Amino acid sequence: MTFLAPWAMAIAGLAAAGVVALHLVARQRPAAYLLPTARFIPDQRTLVSRVATRPRDLLLLALRVSLLLFAGAAFARPVLSPTRGTVARIVLLDRSRSVANAADALARARTLSEGSAVGTVIAFDTSATVLTGDSWDSLAAARRSESHGSLAAALVAARRVSASLAQRADSIQLHLVSALAAAEFDDAIDSARSAWPGFVHVDRVALRPDSSSGWRLDRALAVSDQLGPAMASVRSASGARVTRLVRGAPDGSDRAFARAGGTVVRWDTSAAPRLATEGLAMGDDVIVAALGRRVLGLTGRVVARWADGTRAAVEQAVGEGCMREVGIMLPAAGDLALHPPFQRIARALLTPCGIATTDVVADSGVMARLAGTGRSAAPASAFRIGSDQPTPLARWLLAAAIVCAIAELIVRARHALEPT
Amino acid sequence: MSAGPYGALLDAVRGVRWPAARRVGGATLGAHPSRLGGNSSEFSEFRPYRQGDDPRRVDWRLLARSDRAYVRLTTNRATFRTSMIVDASASMAFPQPALDKWRLARELAVGLAAVAHSEADPVGLAIAGANQPTLAPRARRSVLLEMMRALDATTPSGSTPLAPLVASARASRIVVITDLLGDAADVVSAAALRVASQNEVIVVHIIATEELHPPAGALLAVDPEAPTMRRMLDGSVRASYQDAFTRWMDETAAAIRGVGIRYVRAVTDEATPHLVRRIAGESARRGA
Repeated sequence: MTFLAPWAMAIAGLAAAGVVALHLVARQRPAAYLLPTARFIPDQRTLVSRVATRPRDLLLLALRVSLLLFAGAAFARPVLSPTRGTVARIVLLDRSRSVANAADALARARTLSEGSAVGTVIAFDTSATVLTGDSWDSLAAARRSESHGSLAAALVAARRVSASLAQRADSIQLHLVSALAAAEFDDAIDSARSAWPGFVHVDRVALRPDSSSGWRLDRALAVSDQLGPAMASVRSASGARVTRLVRGAPDGSDRAFARAGGTVVRWDTSAAPRLATEGLAMGDDVIVAALGRRVLGLTGRVVARWADGTRAAVEQAVGEGCMREVGIMLPAAGDLALHPPFQRIARALLTPCGIATTDVVADSGVMARLAGTGRSAAPASAFRIGSDQPTPLARWLLAAAIVCAIAELIVRARHALEPT
Repeated sequence: MSAGPYGALLDAVRGVRWPAARRVGGATLGAHPSRLGGNSSEFSEFRPYRQGDDPRRVDWRLLARSDRAYVRLTTNRATFRTSMIVDASASMAFPQPALDKWRLARELAVGLAAVAHSEADPVGLAIAGANQPTLAPRARRSVLLEMMRALDATTPSGSTPLAPLVASARASRIVVITDLLGDAADVVSAAALRVASQNEVIVVHIIATEELHPPAGALLAVDPEAPTMRRMLDGSVRASYQDAFTRWMDETAAAIRGVGIRYVRAVTDEATPHLVRRIAGESARRGA
């Protein structure tokens, strides 16, 4: 038998100990002694207080202690056959387009789910769906969503599911299998995260790599261009979702291009007059190389930073499109353009504004806020709703307490009538 | 006659004499000087004849020799009817379970009766108990045995008043053996009337040592004759209790003596034969 409100049992135990102590130090009537000359004793109290080594009135004591313990047990909400597991587990499975390998994410989620006797899996993209036990196969066969994921929706669904899991578990773990793309963190993420009282175990899967099929450069780069190797897979064409790379200050046509929905990226890749070893970070990609800095004239959202925190690239919305300025000066020679991290950064910096964030991983600060701090598992009591329903056993215990109270009254009345 | 548990007592008091404190008025020939004149052959003295004297008591030979009339006086002796009135109320059943007060009362009654009976005095018994067995004063040999049986068959209980027995006792010497915790005032009043009637009344006040010195420690004292009276006796009130009890004993003794009643205090730790001798001896001194 376990108690859902053990504090009541603890209070009853303390009260019972107090009763035992009172029976030890209770005012006692000493043994009666027939004395014919009792009339010469001054009339005074007939009770004395003393501490006995053994409690008196054992029957009364037993009834009183039983009364308190029964009542305490009744209010402690006893459960005879607990069906709860120790820890339930909720797995949030990212099914959005940000995940590079959906099968891998599914396998990880399945492994996590099977590691707990009590748990559930919630698949989410823009909305969340609670999976049932036989959903794995159909989920593996289903096409991955092409929408952005919403972590806020997933967290809300987890909070909703946890209310039912809390009836069967002491605590609940929340695991997130996601690529953690920046686009999945919307404005509701903070309030949704604060609704979850525990830690979020993040199992990060690979972010979907940038795809050339999604956007184009308005003209092909020369092979000798320093960005050429990085943009070799990006085709050139006109139309929507096109990036125009300009050297030097953009002119009126470039601005008109941006207002029409295009993306104009100013990136002066001419050899820097003076290079220095610099660290550059964008999303999860960090490179350290001989680079030069150029002062940025544009103001707006920072998309890349130097290691000291200063801006390396900013973008600004203009009409339907945007203007982006990159202050990274590249060396005239070298193999930097062949390094994959640089290539990813270069592609990200040239990605049109509308889709640029899709494939950019969230920064570490955002991820740290998502993971949170505190206990590994959230206590189930934080999710219970209407948990004060009395159990049948509690009613029986309460009845036993009432019987003890009545018996105590009867025994006490008899003691009062007996000559001592 | 089988004296049973009283055998040692009877042996111890054999030879003790218990004369009356004053001349008795009985006519039956006995051991106590009688205040009545008689024709006894025990010559005492001559006294000049006074008008009204019985002429048969004039010593004619002395008149012939001296020509003066003298009356020949003799000493007459009579029996002294003695009755034992024993208090058998619940307060005498103390201390439990030895009942020392009741034991002492029984032994005193038997011992004094034996002494009186040895001088041919009729002795009787009245027990102030539930059945109130009463034996009228008799001089026959079996009277002591009957007294023993009556006393042994009695268990102290209740709170029967003593005063009616004192008032109705058919004896000239009345010994009241009691702890005076019942109707003491009525007993004294009745006894005072008997004293005024030229009877001798002796009150033997039975006191248990446990009453003088109750057991140590806190105890709830319960009056056996009034169970509703419960008093706490512990170290804080022990001295007050003893003072009050002693003061009451002294005041009671003074009141009893004040009306001409003999008061004898008998504590249970005193040997019964010694008590019998003390009671009888003091009477002898008074008589002398």
